[in-house]
Amino acid sequence: MTRLNTNQILAILIALLALGYLAMAFQIPSFPLPRPVDSDLFPKVLGFVLLGLAGLLFLERPGVDEVPHEPSAEERALPLLLRPWSRVVITALAIAAYALLLVPLGFVLTSTALVFGLARYYGYRRYGVNLATALGVVLVLYLLMTRVMDVYLPTGPLPL
Amino acid sequence: MESLNNLMYGFGIALEPMNLVYVFAGVFAGTIIGMLPGLGPISALALMIPLTFAMEPSSGLILMAGVYYGAIFGGSTSSILLNAPGVAGTVATSFDGYPLAKQGLAGKALAIAAYASFVGGTISIVFLMLVAPLLGKVAVSFGPAEYFALMVLGLTAVVSLSDKSLVKGLIAAVVGVMISIIGIDLQTGTERYTLGTLHLLDGIDFLVVALGIFALAEVFYMLLRGGGGKEQPRNAIGSLKLSKSEVKDIAPPIGRSSVLGFFTGVLPGAGATIGSFLGYSMEKRLAKDGDTFGKGNIKGVAAPEAANNAACTGSFVPLLTLGVPGSGTTAVLLGALLVMGVTPGPAMLVDRPDVFWGVIASMYIGNIFLLVLNLPLIPLIAKILDMPRPLLLALILIFCMVGVYGMSFSIFDLLLLLGFGLIGLGMRLFGFPTAPLILALILGDIMEESMRRALQISGGDWMTFIDKPISLALLVVAALSLTLPLIKKLVVARRARV
Repeated sequence: MTRLNTNQILAILIALLALGYLAMAFQIPSFPLPRPVDSDLFPKVLGFVLLGLAGLLFLERPGVDEVPHEPSAEERALPLLLRPWSRVVITALAIAAYALLLVPLGFVLTSTALVFGLARYYGYRRYGVNLATALGVVLVLYLLMTRVMDVYLPTGPLPL
Repeated sequence: MESLNNLMYGFGIALEPMNLVYVFAGVFAGTIIGMLPGLGPISALALMIPLTFAMEPSSGLILMAGVYYGAIFGGSTSSILLNAPGVAGTVATSFDGYPLAKQGLAGKALAIAAYASFVGGTISIVFLMLVAPLLGKVAVSFGPAEYFALMVLGLTAVVSLSDKSLVKGLIAAVVGVMISIIGIDLQTGTERYTLGTLHLLDGIDFLVVALGIFALAEVFYMLLRGGGGKEQPRNAIGSLKLSKSEVKDIAPPIGRSSVLGFFTGVLPGAGATIGSFLGYSMEKRLAKDGDTFGKGNIKGVAAPEAANNAACTGSFVPLLTLGVPGSGTTAVLLGALLVMGVTPGPAMLVDRPDVFWGVIASMYIGNIFLLVLNLPLIPLIAKILDMPRPLLLALILIFCMVGVYGMSFSIFDLLLLLGFGLIGLGMRLFGFPTAPLILALILGDIMEESMRRALQISGGDWMTFIDKPISLALLVVAALSLTLPLIKKLVVARRARV
């Protein structure tokens, strides 16, 4: 059996998404009064169009720049946590943690920790400059949002 | 005469002290954000939207117009200094701008870019002022069927003109429309795709999607491609002065490319990228020294810069007169306007002349600021490029988060932002264009509403879209815009076989 190319794998995933979307479209309840177009028509059209496009994508050959990038020997030699994909995963986890801690710890603490921590993790080693920049930018943003634009940001335990 | 009176009225608004501050702040911030490789006008606008929440709509749009101009100019700066165009619209600038910088003439190239942008912007504003009201008068006669057809055309044009796969562009557009209809259907009150969560009842805000698939995805992409640790060496700026003969050399290309750029920008989907490439190739053909293009010819900087700035102004025509954006960037602008409670379209000229003419006047002022204040500051602003990349990436993340949280106060939206950032990264990696998604997201629910209204008026008769000549013509052009690239591909493939 020949191996599926990138477009074919993507096409299968998109087709599954379209099928799920269509299944939900068929469950949209009808409006009690008769109307020329009900709430479910547009989603059904979109679902079928996406399914058709997934079919076309299955038949399309991937472009040269659309083939996944293979890690170089240099990248493979890096410690696991510093490899490019690890950086993306850790950044995503840090953002998720930021979202969950924003209210309990407050904007200033979480944001400063995020900027300082990630910049350090990405390889910036001047701790003093890092902390001063992180805290400075976050404080300016905080004051701009809360004092100038009247936008509330969580304060957390800090008496701001 | 009427246009002139209206423009004077617009200047009255744009010259209010606070609005002047906003124009300058917008141009300045736009230049800085646009200069950062990878972050173009769309990211710049999306990042600045939270600042407009508490503003008057006219002031908000004035700020955004400044950001737009500044970002385009900032993109040229990184093209010239680093050979790293922030956006596709400034790629053509790097062809000759970077060789000039390598010869120690970066200052000259930047000055040419600023002058060309200024003239391109100014000429095209005059055209905008003349064309927009005329088009607005035509657009008043548009009914829902025509609007539906126009939006279909806007979407297909953006898809067909993107340099990526047509099928992938269409998939991105369909997914964008799918996202746009999440929430309560305003016509029937029915919930659609809310997955039973209260967070999705109002739908997904476009800012979450825009910041996710543009700014956050760009950070992820830079991390993946090793941009986290290394900084690129930057060329020194040098003198910003131009000689008389150089000014004489660049004047005609700037004039020609400005006009060409404006009309390219008006067309849905074309915009700054195509405008700048057309301007560049036109001048390369016309110039006696065309063989030196690509090696540091000043005309090779002037032409694309005038064209891309003129195209940016041109792209305001469909946005302001029809309420239909022709590009990803103007789609974000439309989103910002809707957040401010302003619906662009033919009625805006009558209902909100302050916004319409205020923006046009602020474009003049923004252009002057760009030239008079921004250009001398360039050596200073360029120092941003020396900022350690790890710190910069971490700061961009915070700007994204505060933008989203400050708008919705929702942790759920922050997690959605992360989700869209990862989707945007996937789109970049697998060659899906992002502009159709954002355009479709903005247009999707308006498109559905127009379609349903048209069918309601016609009693459910689908022929209503074909019976009306304007609607039919627009749909035919939309179909052609999708089929022509395919036909072209087939012809090329056949020729290659022969």
